Amino acid sequence: MLINTGVPTREQIERRLPSPERRARGPYAMVECFQEIPCNPCSTSCPFDAILPMGDINEIPMIDHDRCTGCGVCASVCPGLAIFIIDESVGDGTASVTIPYEFRPLPEKGETVRAVNREGCVIGDAIVTRVLLSKKTKTPLVTIRVSDGLVHEVRFFNLIDDKAVSDATSLKRKEEPITVDSACASDDDEIILCRCEGITLRTIRDLIREGYTTVDEIKRISRAGMGACQARTCGPLIAAEIARMTGQPISEIQPSAHRAPVKPMPIEFFLGGDSE
Amino acid sequence: MSVPKSASIVIIGGGVSGCAIAWNLANRGIKDIVLLEKDTLANGSTGRCGAGIRMQWAAEKNCRLAQYSVNFFENGNEILGYERDIEFEQSGYLIVAANEKEAEQFKKNVKLQNSLGIPSVYLTPEEAREIVPLIDTSQFVAATFCQKDGHLNPFHTTDAYAKAAERLGVKIFKHTEVIGIEVKNRRIESVETTRGRIATNIVVNAAGGWSKAIGAMTGVDIPTYVQRHQIMVTEPLEPILNPMVMGFSYNIYIQQVPHGSIIMGRSDNTEPLDFRTTSGWKFVEEMTKTCSKLLPALKTANVLRQWAGHYCMTEDAQPIYGPTPGVEGMYLACGFSGHGFMLAPATAQLVSEMILGEPLTIDVSNLDVGRFERRELVFEHSVV
Repeated sequence: MLINTGVPTREQIERRLPSPERRARGPYAMVECFQEIPCNPCSTSCPFDAILPMGDINEIPMIDHDRCTGCGVCASVCPGLAIFIIDESVGDGTASVTIPYEFRPLPEKGETVRAVNREGCVIGDAIVTRVLLSKKTKTPLVTIRVSDGLVHEVRFFNLIDDKAVSDATSLKRKEEPITVDSACASDDDEIILCRCEGITLRTIRDLIREGYTTVDEIKRISRAGMGACQARTCGPLIAAEIARMTGQPISEIQPSAHRAPVKPMPIEFFLGGDSE
Repeated sequence: MSVPKSASIVIIGGGVSGCAIAWNLANRGIKDIVLLEKDTLANGSTGRCGAGIRMQWAAEKNCRLAQYSVNFFENGNEILGYERDIEFEQSGYLIVAANEKEAEQFKKNVKLQNSLGIPSVYLTPEEAREIVPLIDTSQFVAATFCQKDGHLNPFHTTDAYAKAAERLGVKIFKHTEVIGIEVKNRRIESVETTRGRIATNIVVNAAGGWSKAIGAMTGVDIPTYVQRHQIMVTEPLEPILNPMVMGFSYNIYIQQVPHGSIIMGRSDNTEPLDFRTTSGWKFVEEMTKTCSKLLPALKTANVLRQWAGHYCMTEDAQPIYGPTPGVEGMYLACGFSGHGFMLAPATAQLVSEMILGEPLTIDVSNLDVGRFERRELVFEHSVV
């Protein structure tokens, strides 16, 4: 399940694929964004209006593949690195995947890299065919060529000389459920855990150390979870961090209360028909 | 973590009142104070309140209690040594009169308030619009305004009191429920909790909605009851509504908090009289209707969340302060009827003085629990 593992199901992915005819015609954007969060740069940045305007910022982006040219602007602006450009039109048994890649060093064109799937496992080799630097977003787009059977699996790559990373991620997937540690723990204290209110992981960790060990207490002191997403995004992350730091099972961490309305709604919406 | 075997004073309730009383007593040098909270601090009425602070009351006693509290909050961060910010913003309260009768009462209120040194003023609708440009002046006949009223963050204020109390040696136990109180010869002997027993002769019942249940553990009926109250809040907006806007017959209070969100609430006598804190549809309909009438420009603001808490009510909507006849050692600080948060500094001062047998800073002897039996009720009409 996506919510537990961060990995979408096959069904979720297949629903996002364009028609076979469209896939044969040329590159297209594959939007692997499955959770409703307040985020819309893809839709506002598309030069071809292919990512449909969102009536509500929480909506999942919908794409009109007839308009999409596979240019990659959306892939470069997506803060979640959830958009990929797929090109299956070459017809020589290979296909390419363009990946937003925010690590350094960058690979070079022509370099062989290890292709990695959505679960973090190495599943084959790939050749880097393009490295595109975006001055605007500072998120480089790296295009790699893989055998066409892998194009819907490969979503990342490891540099070959980076042996440590390669070894760690090529381990076989463990059978036991993903632990809290691997699900959330980050070494980077400065990452933003609550995006609506701009609260960093460092703030959350400081509060837990200070003795605030429920999601609601952290919300009340820091505002984490009080914003537009109403803790739908950050709530589980904060609960996981509490579990990790206090050693309690995550099932025992009380989630914060969910309240109406589920999505922000204008005051006039509630006025109904009987207002004067 | 178990509780200490004995304590000089056990305070029941980790809302703002309990925490403020703990700090006040410790600040006078009292040792071995224990505060018990069955959930987390500010989880009851305090953390669910509308966060408004005002001195514009109709009854002299309430004016004085509020005035004492405002003076405290003005220097709250410094007095309590708080590293965050209790966010006391004195952006004022504009109270609108919906009819001539209410306007007449408001004139009296302002006169009383001014005589006590509260700088409120009586305004025409046009003058009121200079303070709140968004307001529809056709919807009211007069208003009063006091710049020194405002907003205060309930979570941070409770946190500030609790932290300051802990630094002075108070032991605060969250997630620790009182399950019994031992009374011998009509005197408190000990408090039984989910983490053990504490021998003590003094208990402060600051349990808000649960004060009745705590009283019942000593065989006494505390005449409080709970009623659900609902609130809703919009997304954060640019500053557009400086003061709190309030109307009694309009049945609304609405304020933009420093963060930018607009908080609004109302009363409803058909609300359930139990501990439900669920949210209802009727509230949103009524609330948005009133809000759109008085401040039409807010129609397009997005509602982010509604929530509910309860008022710990008394028959005359006034607090109960003081000892409990029949149970030596139990002091009451409950029944705040929707204004306990803003009165916390005065509550703490007065309850501490009662416990220590000192002269009272403000005479609240008529707010004792016995007034209900004597039928000497003290009504306050300026409430939402």
